[in-house]
Amino acid sequence: MRLYEYEGKRLFARYRLPVPRNVVVDGTSLHQLRNVVYPVVIKAQTFVGSRGKAGLVQFARDENEARDRVCSVLGTVYSGHKIDRVLIEEKVRIKKELYLAILVDRLAHRIVVMSSRYGGVDIEEVGHNQPDAIFKYYFSPGSIMHAYAARNIASEIGLEGPFLAPGAGAISDLYRLFIELDCKLSEINPLVLTADGRLMALDAKVDLDEDAMFRHPELAAMGIVARHEVGELSERERFAKKAGFPYVDLDGDIGVFPGGAGFGIAAIDLIEHYGGKPANFMDSGGAPTQDKLRAMLGLLMDNPRVRVIFGARFGGISRCDDWAKAVVQYVIENRPTKPMIMRMAGNMEEEGRKIIEKAKSEHGDLFRKIRVYAYDTPIEEVIKETVRVAREQGRPETSGDNNR
Amino acid sequence: MAIIIDRHTQTIVQGITGTNAALHVKFMLDYGTRVVAGVTPGKAGQEVAGVPVYDTVRDCLKQHPDATVSSIWVPPRSAMDAILEAIDAGIKSIIVITERIPMHDMLFARHVAGQKNVMIIGGNTPGVISPGRSLVGMLPRIAFQPGRIGTVARSGAVTYYVANSLNLAGFGESTSVGLGGDPILGTNFEDVLRLFEQDPETDAVVMAGEIGGVYEELAAPFIKEMGKPVIAYITGKAAPQGKRLGHAGAIIEGNMGTAAGKIVALEQNGALIAPVLGDIPVLLKRALGSVH
Repeated sequence: MRLYEYEGKRLFARYRLPVPRNVVVDGTSLHQLRNVVYPVVIKAQTFVGSRGKAGLVQFARDENEARDRVCSVLGTVYSGHKIDRVLIEEKVRIKKELYLAILVDRLAHRIVVMSSRYGGVDIEEVGHNQPDAIFKYYFSPGSIMHAYAARNIASEIGLEGPFLAPGAGAISDLYRLFIELDCKLSEINPLVLTADGRLMALDAKVDLDEDAMFRHPELAAMGIVARHEVGELSERERFAKKAGFPYVDLDGDIGVFPGGAGFGIAAIDLIEHYGGKPANFMDSGGAPTQDKLRAMLGLLMDNPRVRVIFGARFGGISRCDDWAKAVVQYVIENRPTKPMIMRMAGNMEEEGRKIIEKAKSEHGDLFRKIRVYAYDTPIEEVIKETVRVAREQGRPETSGDNNR
Repeated sequence: MAIIIDRHTQTIVQGITGTNAALHVKFMLDYGTRVVAGVTPGKAGQEVAGVPVYDTVRDCLKQHPDATVSSIWVPPRSAMDAILEAIDAGIKSIIVITERIPMHDMLFARHVAGQKNVMIIGGNTPGVISPGRSLVGMLPRIAFQPGRIGTVARSGAVTYYVANSLNLAGFGESTSVGLGGDPILGTNFEDVLRLFEQDPETDAVVMAGEIGGVYEELAAPFIKEMGKPVIAYITGKAAPQGKRLGHAGAIIEGNMGTAAGKIVALEQNGALIAPVLGDIPVLLKRALGSVH
């Protein structure tokens, strides 16, 4: 879960890491521009990389200039990200730019502190051109950073004399933040020495573990809550987020009601392999409630682009009977007209099949276009049939209906 | 013999009184798994499907000293504690059903397990099954039948579909292992491939991976050293770039982590690539035909 720079800097400040004096401004707080010392740097708050090149980092000498620049950037959209806030910071004179990051090395299953004398540039490029210029210091999970280790790292990137102690202090503060806040990444690029002799974090990139948010009420109190990182959410994606399941809009006409994430990913591949176009990705998680299942199904039924729904439940921890109950209740309550081609196998399969058979005998008309295959029909056959039905559904409407 | 569990393995269940755990304890017992005890702190003296409940893993092992495997069904916030408790009491293999365990917790649990030579499978694993002998976890029995193919997969449902397509083609499984969907896993593809390579009851291995993470790529060099054929089925080829698909682990990052990159790495090291599920038995027949 990526944080905005201003959120990262608020966390830095809590951990005593020095950051430039700043204010955060949105459309309603332009008056704050009066309370800053000029000149300033104006940084659009977005996850887009290389903001400098995109014109999202600007300078202003006075309040009027700042107001113009802030208004020109607020509300604009870059790569799907709407810019709602800008960070206004004192402009510092830079003497030296360094690099410092702490992250989980997923190959070594350890925590690694990466540092370099070359900051302010793309660290991947540094790593590519001069691998020796990146210093890596590994820590076993659960271990603390002793003062000497912080001094070793500081000294390795040229923090010496009067800068050794504050440098080592900043490194161990960042490590404490990384551990205590359950970070996947905390990065300062650049960490600078200013012309007037201060050490300062000019940028902040913090990526938190969303699975650990439950134990960080202090973050929620700061307004740092789970968010979507990749572009703007579509209306359906927002609905899904509220209902508590991952959902991504794709551009096809086959609604995918898959069960878990792993088969959701596989189903998209299989549908495309057999010539179909999936309309979405989603994931029920393990043992979903019936409310969640009905919300998932409703989302697909209400999507005008979806012509047919492919459903699959291989019951493990998620039971077939719960799945069948949710499907039946949805159909009886909402009387959907779109065909549903599904397969159900696994734990509590027999109970699930009884529920569907009973509903079929009582509400035959509603279940006319709903087929539920069992264990002995290979999943590929079910997907091929779905693709075929999607084509048939598409045919009569192609002349008039361009409903996208 | 199979790998990890067989018909003699005695297992315990941590978090046994939870709704899901209690249901699956019943399924495990029906399957013939020797579930000898369970743990829920504060509920000692109760029973779940006839299995005695204890307050601690230590108490369990005092009464059932031959138990070597534990499955963990507790909520994510208690998962690390449960794993450490099992390691401390002397359990040798820990199968972690719990999903979305905090990353730092799992790193630490892994670290401790490594020092004590304990195997952790998961988190977010459906479990392990040696068909006809033992099942630990919540895999549906109908998906599996006894045979000589080892399978290992990241996702639960994909584990079931792989076995399902093997069975429909007349194959069966020696053992099927679910590695789990969480981003940090206790056991990875290479660990399981090594066990299958040594297992006299396994003739070939099917591995099913997906976009995100690095465990498929890391296993590739070992495949080259293996004597047994490896069929690889990798999903996520059609996944949209930069979109996040469910599993916290399934994020496309850089070149490592893409389906295409994984397929190339595996193919270059001698794995046979199955583009769709139905190709798995076809490739197996071809590979085993040339061996026998």
